[in-house]
Amino acid sequence: MTERSQIKEKIRRRVMVVDDEMINRQLLGYIVSRDYDVIYAENGVEALSKVKNEKEMISLILLDLIMPGMDGYEFLSVIQSDPELRRIPVIVLTSEKNAEVKCLRLGAVDFIPKPYDMPDVILARVGRSIELSEGSKIINDTENDIISGLYTRQYFYRYCERHDKYFPGIPMDAVALNINRFHFLNEIYGRSYGDKVLGMIGHEIRRLLKNKSGMACRSDADSFYIYIEHQDDYDGIIDELAGRIWDSAGNDHINLRMGIYSFADTELNIEERFDRAFHACNPIKSIQKAGYKNHLAYYDDSMHEKELFSEKLLSEMDNAIRERQFKVHYQPKYNIKGDRPVLKSAEALIRWQHPEFGFISPGVFIPLFEENGLIHKLDKYVWREAAHQIREWKDSFDITLPVSVNVSRVDLFDPDLGDELLNIAGESDIDPSECFLEITESAYTDNSSQMISTVQSLREKGFHIEMDDFGSGYSSLNMLASMPIDALKLDMVFVQNICEDKKMPAW
Amino acid sequence: MLTVDDLKKFGANTEEGIGRCMGDEGFYMMLVSSFLGDTRLDQLEKALKDNDLDKAFEAAHALKGMASNLSLDPITGPVTEMTEMLRSRTMTDYSVLIKDAKDKMEVLRTMADQ
Repeated sequence: MTERSQIKEKIRRRVMVVDDEMINRQLLGYIVSRDYDVIYAENGVEALSKVKNEKEMISLILLDLIMPGMDGYEFLSVIQSDPELRRIPVIVLTSEKNAEVKCLRLGAVDFIPKPYDMPDVILARVGRSIELSEGSKIINDTENDIISGLYTRQYFYRYCERHDKYFPGIPMDAVALNINRFHFLNEIYGRSYGDKVLGMIGHEIRRLLKNKSGMACRSDADSFYIYIEHQDDYDGIIDELAGRIWDSAGNDHINLRMGIYSFADTELNIEERFDRAFHACNPIKSIQKAGYKNHLAYYDDSMHEKELFSEKLLSEMDNAIRERQFKVHYQPKYNIKGDRPVLKSAEALIRWQHPEFGFISPGVFIPLFEENGLIHKLDKYVWREAAHQIREWKDSFDITLPVSVNVSRVDLFDPDLGDELLNIAGESDIDPSECFLEITESAYTDNSSQMISTVQSLREKGFHIEMDDFGSGYSSLNMLASMPIDALKLDMVFVQNICEDKKMPAW
Repeated sequence: MLTVDDLKKFGANTEEGIGRCMGDEGFYMMLVSSFLGDTRLDQLEKALKDNDLDKAFEAAHALKGMASNLSLDPITGPVTEMTEMLRSRTMTDYSVLIKDAKDKMEVLRTMADQ
C-alpha cells in the first residue's frame, strides 16, 4: 500500500490552494482534489482569514509566492508567528531556485516547482508532508502534558537521561511534588478548578526552572516530578511556590508536599530515582502537624531499608503461608451478663513467626498486604484455619465455639466471596452461623449501598456479621439502623480512657 | 472551437498539459480557453510602456506560470525570457518579445474562433 492511499484510507483531509492566478489555482486544485477536499484563496489576506476560521480543519497549504497584496513571504511569516497556525505545513509553489532557502527559513516544508510536476508527484509530496506534520504533532502532543504544559512522564525520563549524558558532572536532585488531598480540591471546587490549579503549578515550576539546570513533568493526577541541579534550600522553594499558587488561585487551602532525593545516584535508573523521591513525599500525609501548611521530606537510607524490608515481606508471603509461618491465636470472648463469665466465642488473631526476623506485628504486615492486594490470600488462610479449629474443638471437647475472623474491604468486592466462605465452612463441616465475619466500619463508608447489599447477602447465607471498629470512622448512629449486622464492636478510642476521665458519662 | 489537434499544430506539448490535468482533456481545454481570455499580456505591455517594472514582472511571472502549466510552449518561450529579465528589473527593449507573444496568442485566438 502506498503512503498516499494509507492517508486516503483514514479521512479526507482538507488542503488550501493559495494562488492569484485562476488557471494555476484551478489546475492545482483539480489535481489535489483527487485525494483531498480543496478550498481556494486568491491572495494572502483571503487565505489568512480562511485559515483562521478553519485552522483545525486545514491539513496543508499550497502557497504561491508572488501575489498582489499580501504575498507568499508575508503570509508565511504571519502564520509562523502564530502558535496555533504554525502546525499547518506549507508547500511553496515556485519557479525560482533562489527563493527556496528564504522559504525554508520562513517555515515552508517543501516546494512544488512551476510548471507543476506530474499529478502523482504533487500528490505524493502533499501526502508526505501531511504525514510528517501529523506525526510530529502526535509526538508533540504526547511529549507535553496539556494541563500543566510540562513534559509527560515517559518523555521526561528520556530527557533526564539525555541530561545526565551531556552534563555528567552536575549533581542533581530528584524531587516529587504533589498536592495534599487534591481529590478533595477537585470535589469541592470542581474538576476544571483542579485542572486550573495543576496548570498554575506547571507554570510556577517552569518559572522555578528558568534560571536553573533542570526539567519537569506531570507524572499523573496531581503528581509532579522535577529533575533539578542540587539545591540547598527547598524550604524557601516550596514556600515561594506555594505562595505564588495561593495568590493566583486565591485559595490558601492548597497545601504542597515535596519529597526530595538529594544528590540522586546516577547509577540507579531514572525511574528508581524518582521512586525514591516519591516515597519520601508520601509519608508526609501521616506526620502532618497542625500549623504547617506545606511539607517536605528528604529521602534517606533508612527509608530505603524500610522499603527493602517491605519488599522482602511481600515476596515471602506465599512461602510463609505454605510453611505455616502465620500463627492464628484465639482470644476468648465471655458473656458477662450472668453471675460468672461464660466462654461464648473467640476472635482469631494472626501473628507472623518469621524464621529470620522473629515475631512480626500484624500492624506491620497487614497494612502492607492491604496496599499490595495480597490481603485476600491471608484472610482466606485465616478463615480456613479458624474453620479447622472450630471443628477440632467440636471433636475434642464437644463444644461449639464460634470464631470471629476478618473480612477485609477488598474481599467484599469479590463476587464469589459468599460461595468461597460456604465452601470453607463445608470443608470443616461447620455451620455458617459459627463463623463470625468482622467487617470494619470504614468498609461501609466507601461505597455504602453496594457494601450493604454484599453484607446482606452474606447474612442471608447464615453468617453472623459484626461491625468492627465502630466509632473510628464517620458513620453515624442513625446509619446503624440500616445496617445488616448482628453485633457491633466499639473502637478502642471509645473505651480506652473510660476509667480515667471522670467527665465521661457512666456506661 | 479549439481542438487538441489545433494545439498540437500550434506547437503545444498537449500530452504533458493533459497529463498535468490527470488525463482530463475537457478540463485541459477549458483551462486553455480561459487563458485565451486573460488580459495579462496587455497589462504587461502597458506596464512596460509606463516603466512600471514591478507590475511588469508580476504580469510576466503570472503569464509564465499559466503558459508553462498548460504547456503552451510557443508562448512560454518569450514570456519566460521576459520574466527572467524583469526579475532583475532590467530596463531594456521588450518590444520584440512582446510582439512574439502577442502574435502566438493571436494565432490561438484565431484558431479558436473558427
